[in-house]
Formats: sequence, structure tokens, C-alpha cells
Amino acid sequence: MQGRRAPVPTAITIAALLFLFVPLAIVVLFSFNSTGSLTFPFAGFSTRWYHQIIESVAFRDAVVNSAFVGAVVALSTLVLGTLAAYGLTRASTRLRTPIAVLLFLPLTLPGLFLGLSLLVLFSRVEVNLSLGTVMIAHMVYVLPYYLLIAVAALQRLDPALEEAGADLGANAWLVFRRVTLPQVWPVLLAAALLAFALSFDEFIITFFVIGPDSTLPLFIFSTLRRTVDPSVNAISSLLLVITLALFAIAFVLTLRGSRTSGLSIETEPIGSAAR
Amino acid sequence: MSGPSAGPRVRLRDVAKRFGDVSALEDVTLDIDDGEFVTLLGPSGCGKTTLLRIVAGFERPSAGQVLLGGHDVTKVPPHRRPVNMVFQRPTLFPHLDVAANVAFGPRIDGLSKTEIGQRVDEALALVRLDGFQPRRSHELSGGQMQRVALARAIVNRPQVLLLDEPLSALDLKIRLEMEVELRRLHREIGGTFIYVTHDQREALALSDRVVVFNEGRIEQIGTPNEVYRRPASPFVARFVGDANVIPVDVEPADDGAAEVTVGGHRFRTPASDVSGPAWLVLRPEVVGVSAPSDDRALRGVVRDLSFRGTGHSYRVAVEGLGDPVKAEVSGGSVIDLGFTVDLTWDPGACRVLPRDPGED
Repeated sequence: MQGRRAPVPTAITIAALLFLFVPLAIVVLFSFNSTGSLTFPFAGFSTRWYHQIIESVAFRDAVVNSAFVGAVVALSTLVLGTLAAYGLTRASTRLRTPIAVLLFLPLTLPGLFLGLSLLVLFSRVEVNLSLGTVMIAHMVYVLPYYLLIAVAALQRLDPALEEAGADLGANAWLVFRRVTLPQVWPVLLAAALLAFALSFDEFIITFFVIGPDSTLPLFIFSTLRRTVDPSVNAISSLLLVITLALFAIAFVLTLRGSRTSGLSIETEPIGSAAR
Repeated sequence: MSGPSAGPRVRLRDVAKRFGDVSALEDVTLDIDDGEFVTLLGPSGCGKTTLLRIVAGFERPSAGQVLLGGHDVTKVPPHRRPVNMVFQRPTLFPHLDVAANVAFGPRIDGLSKTEIGQRVDEALALVRLDGFQPRRSHELSGGQMQRVALARAIVNRPQVLLLDEPLSALDLKIRLEMEVELRRLHREIGGTFIYVTHDQREALALSDRVVVFNEGRIEQIGTPNEVYRRPASPFVARFVGDANVIPVDVEPADDGAAEVTVGGHRFRTPASDVSGPAWLVLRPEVVGVSAPSDDRALRGVVRDLSFRGTGHSYRVAVEGLGDPVKAEVSGGSVIDLGFTVDLTWDPGACRVLPRDPGED
């Protein structure tokens, strides 16, 4: 039935979307403002804030640090998380459920708590705070998100495919490499990109466990604390673009993974099943 | 790979399998000879697939032994067993084309490129899919997918080919074609085939021997002819083909023959080691239907009549018997609904099985 749209829910939806996206739009808009003012009227178009931040050594260091931490976290999560997800979906041990609960636990913990407890841990074992401790903390934080995606992908895979591989002479490792991985790698790669994105703009936990270095979110925070600096708009816009790009790539990879493989993500329009 | 050795190709000794508290298989002992086409037949949940998976190595038996070519493989993992399986659902690797799917096993065995190519072409020719090498699995029909799965299995020259209801997902017409293909394939490669199905027609049509399963136990092992003509139990009689299974009483007669009483009618069977309560198994095609003439014959009223191409199928209600008696008569004149008829059969063509008193 093609009825008229109900006016009240439509209005609420539009208001909610405006509430969510207008601040983003304003940040992006003012990142191109030619004066330092953060209020209307908009004075004119300029890229001076972008030039300013790109010339800033502190900014470049922060970006490099964030990218480095993100890359290490994403790569190690890819390896460790894939192993964990494989174990969680294939092992027949009774410990599976308790292990799964433990692995997913960080999802439910507040960042504040996670950051504080990791800080206590690091000082207890007398590890100097550095980008290394940030990487460890980020892995703890990011792993459950990665697992959610990887476990779902591995569970959707038809187990008969792996049995067929074993039947044809492949040992467990060869089954994984030649049967399982070719089906799920796009999804795993997408999950690793998400891990990178999560690490790249993580603030709270980082704040606790970072040493003398700085990451991009911390750099933005410290810049703002000193003055209301319009270059923060440019930085935030860049961060926004990078994050969106990562999510877009991850999304495309997930779609690709579901199309070319034995995975079956329901792509039918909602409601067609009711017929 | 599979040099001839003395003894059966596959030997199962007292194999049992429990899943938790549920017993899926009990004391299964079975020998399968080299080159035999054996079908494991039974209703779903009877343990036939579990047994096949035990032979493949996907399941470990709770008790008993599995021997392949004389070697105990009970604890050998699937990838080191010289057997290959065709699964119920098509399990082609979606990321590989047909040629690479078939080449999967030989590649793992480390054969040379030329030999792999040769073997793949050979196997595809055997399943009549020459020229399909570059296709992807989503470009194939269900029947073609199962042919590729067959090629992917036989290319490894397995000692035993395991087939787990490979035709059940296909349309009837394709299924009948594939049956012919399977028989031809079995003749051409001369291997040992173990075939699992719940379709008794398929089992009778394909196999050298049929193993009938019920509730985790073997009910009967025999050639299709034996299983059909001399069912070992009422279950087999009902499950394999159509049958009238009628409760009767048997008294031994002086000359070694037996006197059978069925619904007030008595007749003699040549010989029977059964006496007392028994089951009379009558295939519908051995039952004759005629106008009443003999007062001592089993008499009933035609309740249903349907045309069967080669003749007619009757259901005749007989007083004193629970179910109507099914009869398939070819040719002859048609006797209409409501008419009283005599049911006759050749005493040698029926089978008498023991029955527990009170069971009917």
C-alpha cells in the first residue's frame, strides 16, 4: 500500500538527522572559513587552516603516530582476531562459551574503566608508557569489534565446504588457507579496516596510557584546550574524511565477500519474505 | 594407490556411535568387497549418513573399528583416508572454477602440472563435462554441480567413493539421468561405491547390495532382489517397495509345509520355519483379483481403483483385516468399485515372518 507518509514520524526523523549532521556540516564549512571567527556570518572561502595544520610539525607527528598505532593494531588484530574467531567457531571444547564471554567483555566496559585499569596494570609491571602501551590498550578495545564481524562471517560459511576440503586431502591448515580464507578474506579485511578506524580516533583509553607522544585525537584536544583554534575544524574534517573512507571501503569489501563466496547475507528486500 | 589386497575393501566391525545420550548406530558389522556398489538405505535419522561419515572420518565411532583395504583407519583423520565423498548439497568451492575445483585434491597431493591437467580433463570427461573447465559454480545447474563434485572425488582415484544422497536435491528427471550416469561411471572406473539414500527405488536401481537400516541397526543386507523378494522384517517389507503386511497365524503341517490362516481363509505355503503368530508379506503385484468363484479364497470388496498405465491398482477391504489389501493387476477386465472379489496369490510368492503375539 502506498499511503501518504505520516507527518509526525517524518518530522522527528528529519529533526534527528539535522541534529546529528548539522554540527558536522558546520565544522566542515568553517574549516574553509577565511577568518578565525567560529560564528556566522561566513567570511569567505579559504584553505588557510589546512595549510596551517599541514605545516605544523606537531600535527604531522600526531598523524604519523595515529597511523602507525592504527596500522599495528589493525594488523595484529587481523592475525589474533582471526585465530580467536576460528577457534570460537570451530573448536568443540566446553570452554568455548566462557572464552567467548571473556573475549567480548571489553565491549561492555566503559573506556574510562578500561583506560584506568590498563594504566594500573602498566605501572604495576613497570612498563613505561609509550605508543607501545597505546597499541596494547587499543588491541584490547578493538578485538571484540573485530571478533563480532569475523565470528559472524565464519559461522555463515557452510561447514560442508571445509569438510569437502579435508575429504580431498587438505590438513587443517590447508583447509583454512585454501577453502576458508578465500571465502572470508574480504570480510576479515573490512573488519581490520574498522579496527584501524576505531584505533585512529580513540581518545579516552589513549589519554590514560599514552606517554610523552601524542596521537591525532589527543593533539586536537590539547589544541582546543589552549585556545579556540579554527585549525581544529580542518583537522576534524580531515579525520572525518579518513574515517568515512575507511568505512566505505570496509562496506564494499563486506558486500563483495558476501557475493563471491559461500556466505549468504540476506540481500532480499525486507518484506519479500512475508509473501 | 589402491593395489588389490586380500579381504574386503571396507570392513566395519561392531561400529557404534552415540551423540550424548542418543544412540545413532549400534553394533554395525558390514563387509564391502572391492568394486561393489553398496547402498545404505533407510528413513531419515536411521544412522546411514552417520555411518558414511564414520567411513569418511568426519565422525569418530564411539566403539568398533573401521578397516580400509585391511588397515585400521578408525583414528585416521579424513584428509589421510583414501576415500572421497560427494555431499548431499553441492559443495563446490565458489572461489574456484570447475577445473580448479577438480584439481583441488591432485594439487594437494603435489602432482605435476601436466599430470593434474590430464587427470582433470579425464575426470571431467568421465562425468561428461568436457569443456566446462573454466566455468564457475554459479554458472552450473544443480545436476552439473553434482557431476563436478563427482569428478572432484574420482580424480583422486579413491579406494572407496562415498555418496551421501547426492541426487536428493535434484529434479526427478535429472535424478533419473544421473542414476544412469552413476551406473555407467561405476562400470567404467570399477571402484567401490558406498551410496546413502532414503529412496528405496534408487537403492534397488543402483546397487549390487542393499543394506537396510532402521533406528541405528542393520535390518537386512542383500541384493536388491533378495531385499525385495525376501524381506527379513516387516519394516524392510514396508520400506522397500510396496507391500501388504498382514497379521496371520501359522501351523506347521505334516509334510514340512505350513498352514497359514488369514482372515478365515487358509492356504499352504511350501515351507516355513515360522509357527504361531506371523506376518504375511504380499507384494501387490503377486495378488490376483477375480470374480468370486472359490469359497475358500480370501474375499473382499473393491474400495479403490486407480489406473496405472500397465494395469490397475486395487484396494480391497477384507473383513477381519485392518488395512485394505493392495493389488496391482496388469491387463484383464476391470472390476468396479463395490464389487465383491476373490484375492488369490501364488503361495510361493509370499513371505511369512515371525510376529510377537499381540503385535499387529
